[in-house]
Amino acid sequence: MASITTEEESKLLIVLPGDQLPESGLMEDSSAAHRLTLGPGLAPMDDDSITAVKAGILKHNAVGNRWWVESNQRRYVAAQGESIIGVVTGKSAEHYKVDIGASQPALLGVLAFEGATKRNKPNHNIGDLLYCRVSMANKDMEAELECMNPTTGKADGYGELKGGFVIKISLGLARRLLDPKNLVLRLLGQHIPFEMAVGTNGKVWVNSASAQHTILICNAIRNSEYLNSAECGAMVKSLVEKM
Amino acid sequence: MATPAFTFTPSTFQKLHPAEFFRRFTTEGVRPDGRLLDAFRPTTVHHGVISTANGSAMVRIGGTTVVCGVKAEVAEPKLDAPDQGYLVPNVELSPMCSSKFRPGPPSEQAQAVSEAINRVLKESKVLDLKDLCIEEGKAVWVLYVDAVCVAYDGNIFDAALAAIMAALKNVRIRKPTYQEGTIKVSGGSTATDENSFTLNLARTPLSATFAIFDTTLTILADPNVTEETISDGQISIALDETGQLCGVTKIGASSCSQSVMRDCVQSAKKRTQQLRDIMNQQ
Amino acid sequence: MSRLDRTRTSAHQLRPFFSSQNLLNRADGSAQFDFGESSVMCSVIGPAEVKLRDEKLDKATLEVVVRPLVGLPGIKDKAREQAIRETLEPLVLSGLHPRTGIQIVVQTMKDDGSILATAFNATILALLDAGIPLKSILGAVTCIVDSETNQILLDPTTQELANAKSTHTFVFDNKSSITSSPENKDQEEAVEVATLYSDSTGLFSEEEYFECAQICYKAVQAVHGFIRTAVQKKLEKEQQQIHS
Repeated sequence: MASITTEEESKLLIVLPGDQLPESGLMEDSSAAHRLTLGPGLAPMDDDSITAVKAGILKHNAVGNRWWVESNQRRYVAAQGESIIGVVTGKSAEHYKVDIGASQPALLGVLAFEGATKRNKPNHNIGDLLYCRVSMANKDMEAELECMNPTTGKADGYGELKGGFVIKISLGLARRLLDPKNLVLRLLGQHIPFEMAVGTNGKVWVNSASAQHTILICNAIRNSEYLNSAECGAMVKSLVEKM
Repeated sequence: MATPAFTFTPSTFQKLHPAEFFRRFTTEGVRPDGRLLDAFRPTTVHHGVISTANGSAMVRIGGTTVVCGVKAEVAEPKLDAPDQGYLVPNVELSPMCSSKFRPGPPSEQAQAVSEAINRVLKESKVLDLKDLCIEEGKAVWVLYVDAVCVAYDGNIFDAALAAIMAALKNVRIRKPTYQEGTIKVSGGSTATDENSFTLNLARTPLSATFAIFDTTLTILADPNVTEETISDGQISIALDETGQLCGVTKIGASSCSQSVMRDCVQSAKKRTQQLRDIMNQQ
Repeated sequence: MSRLDRTRTSAHQLRPFFSSQNLLNRADGSAQFDFGESSVMCSVIGPAEVKLRDEKLDKATLEVVVRPLVGLPGIKDKAREQAIRETLEPLVLSGLHPRTGIQIVVQTMKDDGSILATAFNATILALLDAGIPLKSILGAVTCIVDSETNQILLDPTTQELANAKSTHTFVFDNKSSITSSPENKDQEEAVEVATLYSDSTGLFSEEEYFECAQICYKAVQAVHGFIRTAVQKKLEKEQQQIHS
């Protein structure tokens, strides 16, 4: 089995399922509490070893001795606190049923909106696009959503997305788009004004002044996944010039 | 330890935690049916149980019963093999033998067992298909080998292979005569060595199956149906009379070391010899 | 000794590997794996919704569909489906996705022998691409014992298979070597070989079987290494914007 060495911080540390984390690596900077936090892609096995269960890059954060595997996939698995984009597929007296691209539709309470009361609540129809937050996710239950910030009760940008266009991308690319320093979005912003919402479930909503611009932005985002910085710049440039 | 708040009867415990119930037995080296871990169930073989078939046999391994009939029919040979007959084995697992099988097209398990047996028969060259030729390019024998499970209690592969081999040994086919496009097969009077022939089998592969239980890799010889459902994987080993291997399959469960495989081969050698003795006695 | 396909010089040489991941647009994961002129494509969908009849309360339901090169799926493909499914079931951490289904479709693209081993390798690459949680990866290799020379030939072509006395397919996971430390690696005889899946047909002796297992085990290490490189290349490509 390939054991992992943490000597070279600069190089990407690729792990595959079955690779074990070295015990020494786990303990090196653990504080007196000897506490260890495992994130996605890592799991304790029957023989008490910590093993990678997904292929990806091993990441470590000294704060709280956190370890996780940064991996990419296309299928969404709901996780609490994430912002996602879903489509209303059904409604009942108490819940909307929302397709979020996971194995099961998620539930959104009709009162989980800013200022909603039994008398006065927003009305959404089947097919509406909603930007919401996962309020509860459990592997044995359907995920639950809300369209407000639970601490303030304010909408905070959550709610229906009107107009625009939605594309489906990989979850890894969606996470990278959320990075404020993201290259392709910065480059696009220099040429075209647009608004967008990125769901960690791989759905991206884009809206701009014209359909041509929206399609251009969507294509640029899709194309950027496997390009380096220089290629990305050239790609955006050629798209914008063709307009 | 504090006394538990409530207790179960053994049968309730078995229903709630079948694997844990079983583990309690295996750690003591026995199984719920009283067998030791390496013990096979009592086996009987009966030859010629179906008088209308060309050859037949019935094999019982514990609660599993398989009846096999061989029917010979005349057919045209394939263009690319004008002097070879056909051997068509088929294993049927109908709802008659267990409620776990549904009516309709053959289940995946039935197809997988049929294919496994077909490969053992074909790849270890049990029968020279040229022996089944009547007239080259015109007519050959097709042997339909149908093994029907009438009671299912696990280990269908061993039972079906043994029944098929016993039935093939039992086959007697009337000598045909080929005359200008028609085939005459003498009927009437009892079959004798003069008007009929038997199959010339190059070898008799028989198999032994083991279930792999638990992460501790406990090996259970000849699993019954409950043991099959809680086990993680199976090892099947087929051998001929000289101790030559005719097929090894290990499927499911976590990895299993070579020493475990070696033990299974040794145990399979003993078992198939014992099965051969039973088969030759009756 | 030169092999029948003339591209290889040694009996224990594998054909060149080729793989490609994430090539189907609509699947959650997909991959193609080639051993020379044998090629298999595999797609994975899941964890997704599952038919109520197949739903398992405590784990995901694995469904494997094997499609042949030509014609309709037959009994042989059913047997392969069972082999692949039962080998993957203990490997997939299906408890993390209860009441869901994972569908795996395996399609032969080109057949020049060793298809089952090629299919296993394509399947594991597709599962990695789909991000299905796994206990470990696996690698598969086929070998034959030649009927004339009694020599063990790795990764046989269709032509070589026709001349085989016995055929053996082995699958090993990447944890199966129980070597305690890297220093022991010189004593290769001491390597404890543990099989995940083994399928042998034909006529062979006990010694031949275990020799084949040893040789295939060594060959599978190359497959494991190749899978690691393939995944690494894909990840580096994804990450180059951030790290450049």
